[in-house]
Amino acid sequence: MKNWTVLVVEDDHWLAQQFQRILEKAGLSVILARNAHDAIDIIDETPIDVIVLDILLTGSTAFALLHELQSYGDTGNIPVILCTNLSDELSIKDLRPYGVDLIMDKTKMKPSDLITAVSGVLG
Amino acid sequence: MSAEGKHEDIDELSAQNLPSVISAAQELRSPLALIRQLSLSLEDGENTGEEQKLMLRQISLTSEKALRLTDDLTKSAKLKKGLFELEPINARQLCEDIVSELTPVFLAHERNVKLISPRKTSSLLVANRDLLKRILISLSDNALHYANKDSSVEIQIHTINKGKIVRLGVRDYGPALHKSTIKSLGKKITNSSPTMINARPRSSGLSLYIASQFADVINGEIGVTRHRNGSTFYIDLHASRQLSLI
Repeated sequence: MKNWTVLVVEDDHWLAQQFQRILEKAGLSVILARNAHDAIDIIDETPIDVIVLDILLTGSTAFALLHELQSYGDTGNIPVILCTNLSDELSIKDLRPYGVDLIMDKTKMKPSDLITAVSGVLG
Repeated sequence: MSAEGKHEDIDELSAQNLPSVISAAQELRSPLALIRQLSLSLEDGENTGEEQKLMLRQISLTSEKALRLTDDLTKSAKLKKGLFELEPINARQLCEDIVSELTPVFLAHERNVKLISPRKTSSLLVANRDLLKRILISLSDNALHYANKDSSVEIQIHTINKGKIVRLGVRDYGPALHKSTIKSLGKKITNSSPTMINARPRSSGLSLYIASQFADVINGEIGVTRHRNGSTFYIDLHASRQLSLI
């Protein structure tokens, strides 16, 4: 797999570590952010190919980050995979305008699904 | 009672309990999802010995946290004033026990927990030991999630109101609570059902709601103080007059 850089925005540190392990074993570079604010700082400084984003974050929710990303031409093009426990309550149709490419259900996904999702959105 | 009457009672009961049930389900989703992810990865068998050890440790600590919540939920459903014996408790001793018990969990999260209690502060209070311990562990669990990496969560003991009240606080150094959240928190704590705390969405309010129910039974009161770099959730309890009578 190409050396893409994935930003994982997840405030459950152990789950973030788990995603990092899975993605790194597939040959991807991974950066972790605990909240939307840290994520924005990282995106400002580092080129990111795809964002794996939890909805319920400490501080601002994921939607604040999605709004921020959509405010700029370059960041608005970064593919976003929402990875959440609330997938039942979300619709990809409603979220596409916010740059969301895929919604994953944390309670049902398998570890390998994350790699499939990342390679899927990056083509 | 007729069968129809029974159905109505069950329906009414179900409607009353529904917010708690939904909150409990939401609250348990996160630890269960994490346990599932870690277990599936272990099944794949592509981890080093060190990784396996770490994942197993995380599974057991996450399970324990989820079990504590289910245990608290069960207890909260059976709460009744008078059922729990109130006794003089040395808060310093209790807090030291809690710090010892929680230290491994905090270290696993790369955080620390410590007791801040001036020696001169009297820490004898009236409460039920089991319920007070549950309250403080619940507040500490919450603080652990929001504390910054490598920071310490402090369990603090103060007296207020000329020594009549002992305040046991759990201070975290993490994101500040928004003013509006503090305002709405007062309502939520006394509310009949748990609701989300907006600035800290992962704390669904369920554990705080249960803690406030426990506090009520032991004549205590839960509150929160906002700091620029975190929050202190606390419980106020009546100081024991036992010492002053000696």
